[in-house]
Amino acid sequence: MDFIIAKYNYWIYIILMMIGFYAMISKSNLIKKIIGMNIFQTAIILFFVSIAYKKGGATLPILTHADAHGEHAIQVAGYLNPLPHVLMLTAIVVSIATLGVALAIAIMMYRKYHTLEEDEILKAIK
Amino acid sequence: MKTLGLIVSIIAGAFLMYGTIDMPDWGDPNSPASIHVSPRYITNAATETATPNIVTAVLADYRGYDTLGETVVIFTAGMACILLLRRRKDVRKARR
Repeated sequence: MDFIIAKYNYWIYIILMMIGFYAMISKSNLIKKIIGMNIFQTAIILFFVSIAYKKGGATLPILTHADAHGEHAIQVAGYLNPLPHVLMLTAIVVSIATLGVALAIAIMMYRKYHTLEEDEILKAIK
Repeated sequence: MKTLGLIVSIIAGAFLMYGTIDMPDWGDPNSPASIHVSPRYITNAATETATPNIVTAVLADYRGYDTLGETVVIFTAGMACILLLRRRKDVRKARR
Protein backbone atom coordinates (compact mmCIF):
# COMPACT_ATOMS: atom_id res chain seq x y z
CA MET A 1 0.00 0.00 0.00
CA ASP A 2 2.83 2.42 0.86
CA PHE A 3 4.41 1.49 -2.46
CA ILE A 4 1.25 2.48 -4.36
CA ILE A 5 0.93 5.80 -2.48
CA ALA A 6 4.61 6.58 -3.15
CA LYS A 7 4.55 5.86 -6.88
CA TYR A 8 1.00 6.41 -8.18
CA ASN A 9 1.80 9.89 -9.52
CA TYR A 10 4.33 8.39 -11.94
CA TRP A 11 1.76 5.82 -13.10
CA ILE A 12 -0.79 8.56 -13.86
CA TYR A 13 1.77 10.39 -16.00
CA ILE A 14 2.79 7.16 -17.76
CA ILE A 15 -0.86 6.43 -18.64
CA LEU A 16 -1.32 9.99 -19.93
CA MET A 17 1.93 9.76 -21.91
CA MET A 18 0.90 6.45 -23.49
CA ILE A 19 -2.48 7.92 -24.49
CA GLY A 20 -0.57 10.64 -26.35
CA PHE A 21 1.85 8.10 -27.82
CA TYR A 22 -1.01 5.90 -29.08
CA ALA A 23 -2.68 8.93 -30.65
CA MET A 24 0.58 9.89 -32.34
CA ILE A 25 1.27 6.50 -33.91
CA SER A 26 -2.16 5.11 -34.80
CA LYS A 27 -4.51 8.02 -35.57
CA SER A 28 -4.68 8.84 -39.26
CA ASN A 29 -5.87 12.44 -38.92
CA LEU A 30 -2.93 14.85 -38.71
CA ILE A 31 -4.66 17.20 -36.24
CA LYS A 32 -5.31 14.24 -33.92
CA LYS A 33 -1.63 13.31 -34.16
CA ILE A 34 -0.69 16.87 -33.14
CA ILE A 35 -3.11 16.72 -30.19
CA GLY A 36 -1.45 13.42 -29.16
CA MET A 37 1.97 15.10 -29.28
CA ASN A 38 0.67 17.85 -26.99
CA ILE A 39 -0.74 15.32 -24.50
CA PHE A 40 2.68 13.59 -24.48
CA GLN A 41 4.49 16.85 -23.73
CA THR A 42 1.98 17.77 -21.00
CA ALA A 43 2.57 14.41 -19.31
CA ILE A 44 6.32 15.11 -19.21
CA ILE A 45 5.72 18.59 -17.77
CA LEU A 46 3.49 17.15 -15.02
CA PHE A 47 6.12 14.48 -14.28
CA PHE A 48 8.87 17.06 -13.75
CA VAL A 49 6.65 19.32 -11.61
CA SER A 50 5.81 16.32 -9.40
CA ILE A 51 9.55 15.61 -8.97
CA ALA A 52 9.94 19.15 -7.56
CA TYR A 53 7.50 18.51 -4.70
CA LYS A 54 8.83 18.09 -1.14
CA LYS A 55 6.69 16.79 1.69
CA GLY A 56 6.75 18.49 5.09
CA GLY A 57 5.66 22.12 4.77
CA ALA A 58 7.71 23.23 1.78
CA THR A 59 6.44 26.40 0.11
CA LEU A 60 6.86 27.80 -3.39
CA PRO A 61 10.47 28.84 -4.18
CA ILE A 62 9.89 32.54 -3.42
CA LEU A 63 11.91 33.90 -0.51
CA THR A 64 9.76 35.63 2.09
CA HIS A 65 12.47 37.51 4.01
CA ALA A 66 15.23 39.59 2.49
CA ASP A 67 17.39 39.18 5.60
CA ALA A 68 18.68 35.62 5.39
CA HIS A 69 20.30 35.43 8.86
CA GLY A 70 19.27 34.45 12.37
CA GLU A 71 15.74 33.14 12.71
CA HIS A 72 15.01 33.84 9.00
CA ALA A 73 17.90 31.65 7.80
CA ILE A 74 16.98 29.84 4.58
CA GLN A 75 16.09 26.17 5.15
CA VAL A 76 16.52 24.09 2.01
CA ALA A 77 13.68 21.78 3.09
CA GLY A 78 11.34 24.77 3.39
CA TYR A 79 11.27 25.57 -0.33
CA LEU A 80 10.26 23.41 -3.30
CA ASN A 81 12.95 22.41 -5.76
CA PRO A 82 13.14 25.36 -8.23
CA LEU A 83 15.11 23.57 -10.96
CA PRO A 84 12.33 21.38 -12.47
CA HIS A 85 10.08 24.46 -12.56
CA VAL A 86 12.70 26.36 -14.57
CA LEU A 87 13.27 23.45 -16.93
CA MET A 88 9.53 23.06 -17.54
CA LEU A 89 9.21 26.78 -18.26
CA THR A 90 11.64 26.11 -21.10
CA ALA A 91 9.78 22.93 -22.11
CA ILE A 92 6.46 24.81 -22.34
CA VAL A 93 8.09 27.28 -24.72
CA VAL A 94 9.52 24.46 -26.84
CA SER A 95 6.13 22.68 -26.92
CA ILE A 96 4.44 25.89 -28.12
CA ALA A 97 7.09 26.24 -30.84
CA THR A 98 6.66 22.65 -32.06
CA LEU A 99 2.85 23.03 -31.96
CA GLY A 100 3.04 26.16 -34.10
CA VAL A 101 5.33 24.62 -36.72
CA ALA A 102 3.26 21.39 -36.79
CA LEU A 103 0.03 23.32 -37.35
CA ALA A 104 1.68 25.40 -40.08
CA ILE A 105 2.79 22.21 -41.86
CA ALA A 106 -0.75 20.78 -41.46
CA ILE A 107 -2.19 23.92 -43.07
CA MET A 108 0.25 23.53 -45.98
CA MET A 109 -0.78 19.88 -46.39
CA TYR A 110 -4.44 20.89 -46.42
CA ARG A 111 -3.82 23.59 -49.03
CA LYS A 112 -2.02 21.14 -51.31
CA TYR A 113 -4.08 17.93 -50.92
CA HIS A 114 -7.43 19.32 -49.55
CA THR A 115 -7.50 16.65 -46.84
CA LEU A 116 -5.84 15.91 -43.50
CA GLU A 117 -6.31 12.12 -43.56
CA GLU A 118 -2.99 10.33 -43.78
CA ASP A 119 -4.10 7.49 -46.10
CA GLU A 120 -5.72 9.89 -48.58
CA ILE A 121 -2.54 12.02 -48.65
CA LEU A 122 -0.44 8.88 -49.27
CA LYS A 123 -2.80 7.92 -52.12
CA ALA A 124 -2.50 11.41 -53.62
CA ILE A 125 1.31 11.30 -53.44
CA LYS A 126 1.42 7.98 -55.31
CA MET B 1 -2.24 -0.99 -37.67
CA LYS B 2 -4.39 0.28 -34.77
CA THR B 3 -3.96 -2.89 -32.72
CA LEU B 4 -0.22 -2.84 -33.42
CA GLY B 5 -0.03 0.74 -32.11
CA LEU B 6 -2.02 -0.24 -29.02
CA ILE B 7 0.29 -3.21 -28.34
CA VAL B 8 3.42 -1.07 -28.79
CA SER B 9 2.15 1.66 -26.46
CA ILE B 10 1.09 -0.87 -23.80
CA ILE B 11 4.53 -2.53 -23.92
CA ALA B 12 6.31 0.85 -23.67
CA GLY B 13 4.05 1.83 -20.77
CA ALA B 14 4.80 -1.46 -19.02
CA PHE B 15 8.55 -0.84 -19.33
CA LEU B 16 8.13 2.68 -17.93
CA MET B 17 6.03 1.30 -15.03
CA TYR B 18 8.84 -1.18 -14.32
CA GLY B 19 11.24 1.78 -14.26
CA THR B 20 9.23 3.59 -11.58
CA ILE B 21 10.20 0.91 -9.02
CA ASP B 22 13.63 2.60 -8.77
CA MET B 23 12.25 6.17 -8.78
CA PRO B 24 12.29 8.13 -5.49
CA ASP B 25 9.01 8.30 -3.55
CA TRP B 26 6.63 11.17 -4.24
CA GLY B 27 7.49 14.20 -2.10
CA ASP B 28 10.65 12.70 -0.62
CA PRO B 29 12.80 15.69 0.54
CA ASN B 30 15.98 13.57 0.18
CA SER B 31 15.37 12.50 -3.42
CA PRO B 32 18.41 12.90 -5.73
CA ALA B 33 16.77 15.78 -7.61
CA SER B 34 16.38 17.75 -4.39
CA ILE B 35 19.81 17.25 -2.79
CA HIS B 36 22.26 17.74 -5.65
CA VAL B 37 22.11 21.17 -7.36
CA SER B 38 18.99 22.93 -6.10
CA PRO B 39 20.14 23.52 -2.44
CA ARG B 40 22.88 25.78 -3.75
CA TYR B 41 20.36 27.83 -5.70
CA ILE B 42 17.97 28.04 -2.74
CA THR B 43 20.64 29.13 -0.25
CA ASN B 44 22.62 31.51 -2.48
CA ALA B 45 19.94 33.05 -4.73
CA ALA B 46 19.17 35.94 -2.36
CA THR B 47 22.80 36.96 -1.77
CA GLU B 48 24.05 36.38 -5.31
CA THR B 49 21.20 37.73 -7.43
CA ALA B 50 19.05 39.79 -4.97
CA THR B 51 15.91 38.19 -6.46
CA PRO B 52 13.30 36.79 -4.06
CA ASN B 53 11.81 34.48 -6.71
CA ILE B 54 14.31 31.64 -7.06
CA VAL B 55 12.74 30.39 -10.32
CA THR B 56 13.33 33.80 -11.90
CA ALA B 57 16.87 33.92 -10.52
CA VAL B 58 17.74 30.53 -12.01
CA LEU B 59 15.99 31.27 -15.32
CA ALA B 60 17.53 34.68 -16.00
CA ASP B 61 20.76 34.69 -13.97
CA TYR B 62 22.26 31.23 -13.43
CA ARG B 63 20.95 29.74 -16.67
CA GLY B 64 20.76 32.84 -18.82
CA TYR B 65 22.30 31.09 -21.80
CA ASP B 66 19.54 28.48 -21.62
CA THR B 67 16.96 31.27 -21.87
CA LEU B 68 18.87 32.79 -24.77
CA GLY B 69 18.69 29.45 -26.57
CA GLU B 70 14.97 29.34 -25.78
CA THR B 71 14.46 32.67 -27.54
CA VAL B 72 16.42 31.29 -30.51
CA VAL B 73 13.98 28.34 -30.57
CA ILE B 74 10.99 30.73 -30.56
CA PHE B 75 12.57 32.85 -33.29
CA THR B 76 13.28 29.80 -35.46
CA ALA B 77 9.71 28.51 -35.00
CA GLY B 78 8.27 31.91 -35.87
CA MET B 79 10.42 32.19 -38.97
CA ALA B 80 9.45 28.64 -40.02
CA CYS B 81 5.75 29.48 -39.63
CA ILE B 82 6.13 32.69 -41.65
CA LEU B 83 8.05 30.92 -44.42
CA LEU B 84 5.50 28.07 -44.57
CA LEU B 85 2.32 30.14 -44.46
CA ARG B 86 3.44 33.07 -46.63
CA ARG B 87 1.56 33.29 -49.95
CA ARG B 88 4.05 34.25 -52.62
CA LYS B 89 2.80 36.63 -55.31
CA ASP B 90 4.54 34.94 -58.25
CA VAL B 91 3.14 31.52 -57.27
CA ARG B 92 -0.39 32.92 -57.14
CA LYS B 93 0.05 34.46 -60.58
CA ALA B 94 1.37 31.17 -61.96
CA ARG B 95 -1.69 29.33 -60.61
CA ARG B 96 -4.03 31.68 -62.43
